[in-house]
Amino acid sequence: MGTALLSIGVRAMAASYASMQTTSHNIANANVEGYSRQTTLLATSQGQFTGVGFFGRGVDVAGVTRTQDAFLAREAATAKALSAMDQVRATYLDQLQSVFRTGEQGIGHAVTQFFSAMSDLASRPADSASRQVVLARAQDLTLRFRDAGNQLSQLQTTVTQELNASVTAVNGLAASIAKVNNDIAAARGLGQQPNDLMDQRDRLVSQLSEHVQVTTIPAEDGSVGVFMGGGQRLVLGTVAEQLQRIPDLFDASRSAVAISEGASLRPLSAEVLGGGRIAGLLKFQDQDIVSGQVMLGQLARALTDAVNEQQQLGLNLQPPAGTVPSRPLFGLEDSTREKVYPANTNLRTPSGQFVNTVTITVRDASQLKATEYELRADPDNPASWQLLHVPDDGTAPQTVLPGDVVDGIEINFNPAMGVGERFRLSPVTRAASGLQRLLTDPLDLAAASPFVASTPGTNSGTAAVDALRMVSTPADPTGTVTITFTGPDPGDPSKMLYDWQLFDSLGNLVNGAIGSTWTPGKPIPSEPDPDLNGFELEISGVPAAGDTIELVPTPFPANNNGNALSLNRLGTLDLVGLTELSSGELSGGLSFNESFVAALADVGVRAQGAEAASAISSARAAQAEQARSDKAGVNLDEEAARLIQFQQSYQAAAKVLQIAQSVFAELLKISGG
Amino acid sequence: MRITTHNAYQNVIFNLQQRQQGLQTAQEQLTTGKRVAKPSDDPVAAARAERALAAMTRADAHQRALEASRTATQLTETALGDAGELIQQAREALMAAGNPSYSDGERQMLVQSLEGLRKQLLAVANRGDGTGNYLFGGQGTSSPPFVEAPGGVAYQGSAGDTLVASNESLSTSLDGELTWLQAPTSAPGVTISIFDVLDTAITSLSTLNVTDPQVAAAVKTGVADLDTFHAHLLSTRARTGEALNRMDQVELRIADGKLAAQNERSSAEDLDMVQAISDFQNRQTGYDAALRAYSMVQKLSLFNYIG
Repeated sequence: MGTALLSIGVRAMAASYASMQTTSHNIANANVEGYSRQTTLLATSQGQFTGVGFFGRGVDVAGVTRTQDAFLAREAATAKALSAMDQVRATYLDQLQSVFRTGEQGIGHAVTQFFSAMSDLASRPADSASRQVVLARAQDLTLRFRDAGNQLSQLQTTVTQELNASVTAVNGLAASIAKVNNDIAAARGLGQQPNDLMDQRDRLVSQLSEHVQVTTIPAEDGSVGVFMGGGQRLVLGTVAEQLQRIPDLFDASRSAVAISEGASLRPLSAEVLGGGRIAGLLKFQDQDIVSGQVMLGQLARALTDAVNEQQQLGLNLQPPAGTVPSRPLFGLEDSTREKVYPANTNLRTPSGQFVNTVTITVRDASQLKATEYELRADPDNPASWQLLHVPDDGTAPQTVLPGDVVDGIEINFNPAMGVGERFRLSPVTRAASGLQRLLTDPLDLAAASPFVASTPGTNSGTAAVDALRMVSTPADPTGTVTITFTGPDPGDPSKMLYDWQLFDSLGNLVNGAIGSTWTPGKPIPSEPDPDLNGFELEISGVPAAGDTIELVPTPFPANNNGNALSLNRLGTLDLVGLTELSSGELSGGLSFNESFVAALADVGVRAQGAEAASAISSARAAQAEQARSDKAGVNLDEEAARLIQFQQSYQAAAKVLQIAQSVFAELLKISGG
Repeated sequence: MRITTHNAYQNVIFNLQQRQQGLQTAQEQLTTGKRVAKPSDDPVAAARAERALAAMTRADAHQRALEASRTATQLTETALGDAGELIQQAREALMAAGNPSYSDGERQMLVQSLEGLRKQLLAVANRGDGTGNYLFGGQGTSSPPFVEAPGGVAYQGSAGDTLVASNESLSTSLDGELTWLQAPTSAPGVTISIFDVLDTAITSLSTLNVTDPQVAAAVKTGVADLDTFHAHLLSTRARTGEALNRMDQVELRIADGKLAAQNERSSAEDLDMVQAISDFQNRQTGYDAALRAYSMVQKLSLFNYIG
């Protein structure tokens, strides 16, 4: 009788002690991230049968469980992955926008200042100081473009390093999960749940979610399978697969991520990955860096080509003045010109060279678009080839033939090449980082126009020359053009008719026409009239019949500012991103300044959007983590209460022992008496 | 709802950090005076500010072009005024030479004075602007545009006016040929040169044994031509005066445009100080309250009561 009491007391003490031990464990781990509160499970021992009924035999410790809600844990891991993706993109976009600086330090201001210097040059064409200022502004402009281009390249390098770090982390974590899976399966063989190991695995999964979004599926042996987007297996049982950073399919300076599947590699896109740092980095690389590069490159190419073209139409002062052909002001390093990247899966010769090549040439820089392209066979009609915008901006694929000029680029390829061939076309991507100022001698600036226009004093009308601009290479650089107004157009009296004649330097008539039409407010020649001698003439006032305008080769290029005026005017024209309409007319472009403003706003909106997305998803992740840990974590007040509760149970059980002992002693006393 | 002790502390720390960040941003804005430090702060405002900056820079360039034009035009106006006086003196000399009582010798003195005036006029026509350009050099010349040639004074500059970079048709030099050598006359298509007029008069008057009717005829033609030219000169001078007036208007417009751009830039990216200061104080109070609440709540624990 006494032994039963003793045994109940001892077991009750043990149970209370076990409970206190678990409670202490909880208190000790209260601040451990991802720790799940544990509870000692107590069970009533089966009663002992006697003739008068069942007598209770006390309490047993049935086991130790952890409090964890699998659903909340999954939610927290997913939310964390999305938050990590948004956060990494927002952080990098914040850096990206420093490339598009506003204000006096920005590219936009350098552009304005460059054209302002042209205005000053027009005021003092003979002043070598004003020529020096133009050169200095041109240098400043190229440096700012290069700096911005290099910052973008630097960002690309950082993204690659970060991807490497993330891939290494994922591989390490996956291997650890596989090992813990093994340990848990072994421990479960002993019949009890290894709570702390399971916590450790949950923690590993949570850490993994930082880098890549995963789902976990528990298996019967206590291990979990870890899967990525698209059902791609990362860990199954005790086997972990390896992620790898690989070069982009086209451009090796960019990165992609792939998973090993046996001997082969399967690329994983940001869309498939869904969340985590890796997806955020890939998105930033493929959408944001590229957009930044093509917007800058488009502006750099359009600006430098327009300035170079105008500069080469003017006269410089290298002696003998006006006779040395003008050289371009800006240049582009060869490696940063338009470029074609074949896919590394394209056909190769046995020596490793690509069998098929595609070439692109910029024909009209003002029509360049801020995008890259992919050339590939039309999936619906493999005989024809089509161009797609990269990154996809919703533009429909465009069918192209060899020699076609699309968005100002001429494309040449062999249409009979295999349908599996793919090419990435980058007309402007790296242009900003390769910009150079080629001229160093102030005399090289072509401020002078090759011709001067004037109205003789004998004219009776009020027509005066407003501007004379060179728009193309003149047919005869030493020729003289005489324009004679002959009176109103009988068909439309608001217009005037004129005759023109081009004489060579010896006075021989070499070209001319009668009855051309001038529309007031429009230049001469107006579309679609033919070119007179490479110029465009703007006149104000109204000419009378018989009035003439004469254009002669500029006698003194040193003091002439005609081409500086034209160069200055470029800054006000819409020369970026023009689109050719079906009528052949160009429209829809932006000025250089406006193009930079648009790029800056684009990047600003991206960064702002990413910041907002990151704020929302990090709040969601924090909430999900809180929901998980509120359920699973330790509340010290609660543990304190339990400590008191179990302490009292322990004291009570000790009292039982004491009583059992005194009962036993009583018995001995009687029997030993 | 269960609360986890660790989370409760984490939340407090997170919230304190958020408040600290807000305070920091408000402080940064207060010290820089800028509401928009980077495009993402407000992309639309950043774009507006950028456009306004370009407009300000362009206004400065227009102003410099205007100054260049004004300097040259003022000098031109003075030169034309000087020329007007010289022509008046020539007219008086010519009239005086018409006096039938003068002997050849007396006339010769007046001829000399006419020759002197012609020289002065040539100097005026070749006047420079002090920076190596000639006021009447047209669209550029490397040497004085008017030279003495066998047939009289010839123009060696380029035809036409030199305009500066402006939408307002402002010039830095005039077409010398039109100004001095091609004054229109009442006959259509016929122009006269001031130097030819003086040369003709000088030649006629210095001929020996010239008869009174010949003198009278020469004086009559000469005076008429001088008057024609003077009218042309006055109209040219009126044009430069008008151009100077126009420049004042243009300058006002440029200044207005620049001011508007400055205001636009400021309204786009500058901070409203009153609001910012009140905002800052608000955040300060919030942060202070959060700290107090934390220090009070963290004292509450059951362990304090287990003894």
